[in-house]
Amino acid sequence: MHAEKLQSFVLSSLDYGDSDRIVSLFTLEHGRIKAFARGARKSRKRFGPALEAFARIDVQARIKEGLSTLQQADIISIYPAIRADLERIAHALYACELVDVITPEGHPIPRLYRLLAAYLDRLETEAAVEGDRRFFEVNLLNILGYRPSLESCTRCDSPFMEGGAWLQEGGETVCRFCCAGGKQLSSATLKALSACLKTGIFGQIDFPAASMQQAGYLLDEAISAHSGRRLRSLEFLQQISG
Amino acid sequence: MLTKSSSLMRLVGELKKLPGVGERTALRLAFHLLKSPGNLTALSEALVDVKEKVRACSTCFAITENDPCAICSGNRDAAAVCVVENSQDLMSLERSNAWHGVYHVLEGAISPLSGIGPSSIRIAELLARVEAGGVSEVVIATNFTVEGEATALYLTKVLKPTGVKVTRLAHGIPLGSDIEFVDAATVQWALQGRNEL
Repeated sequence: MHAEKLQSFVLSSLDYGDSDRIVSLFTLEHGRIKAFARGARKSRKRFGPALEAFARIDVQARIKEGLSTLQQADIISIYPAIRADLERIAHALYACELVDVITPEGHPIPRLYRLLAAYLDRLETEAAVEGDRRFFEVNLLNILGYRPSLESCTRCDSPFMEGGAWLQEGGETVCRFCCAGGKQLSSATLKALSACLKTGIFGQIDFPAASMQQAGYLLDEAISAHSGRRLRSLEFLQQISG
Repeated sequence: MLTKSSSLMRLVGELKKLPGVGERTALRLAFHLLKSPGNLTALSEALVDVKEKVRACSTCFAITENDPCAICSGNRDAAAVCVVENSQDLMSLERSNAWHGVYHVLEGAISPLSGIGPSSIRIAELLARVEAGGVSEVVIATNFTVEGEATALYLTKVLKPTGVKVTRLAHGIPLGSDIEFVDAATVQWALQGRNEL
């Protein structure tokens, strides 16, 4: 089996034994993979700081089902500006954990790879703001096919009118005739989220304060339903942002 | 034939619990101990003693047999506190003979991906120590990993309002190394932190 050269982001790493590491990588070519890095904690020459969370690296790896083997890693960027700012670190780690828990293993998703790259590049040059996080989340859900309906009721298919939609468990959005309680999402919130999907560029959409809060309710609910567990980094992110 | 409950197999089972020790290494160590000419009383006593006598210093949380530890009760500059992640890091700094202040051991680092937040490590105790007065400088010597950096930035955020001087260990190209073989990220950090001569 020959080694492949892959473009990747480090999503997380776990110390193994005295000197090894198991890393979760999000690669352009194979999607999310787990890889064994022998001697990663001992040998500065082979891996150096390359296996730190949210580092962008080129790796040589032998791809195997389950656990691949990492042979070498070359750093493209460790995002020094992100590492120098607590809020940016919290946002970058959240993005990595989200990709780590919500994506299937071994399936390439180039659009999501580019989205993660764009978000980390954005965090490297701009302050971490909630609008960018929500932009990342709605696009991620869209790419994975988990996007909540922003145009019509998921139960009766009637288009959302000026009153907007009502949020149900699991991120389901319904019209006022089908709803049985739940938080109301204004049409401005739905439009802002739809616009996030159309522009594809960070920083283009301004969420009014009320819409930001409503978008947060919807996206948090949808992510929680699809990730299956509460993200560990979310608590820290909320603590830092608050 | 030895059974699972034999003392040798029990010893193998206990050795296997140590980090980095697998079945074969545990078996090798057990046979080495079995065949060693001297008696094993000294080793067994040392094992019992380390568990019974070693504890955390109530001031700095470094491991010690006497509370407060030798550093906290010694003739050190108590106005300068060096913050480290664990007692092994403290020992490394002590080996350098370059630090004459005292320490504060956090017993970990903020690691959001592992669910370790500020309240899981000894940050509140550090803050209480600074707020009690008598500390003029806090040197942050956490690791240069994402977790170490997050911890350093969080400490800076909570310590700055107290008015204490907060500093961070310098980082860059290791002594005795050729730039040719240093990774790009370290060179990048070294350039950002360059000094005027």
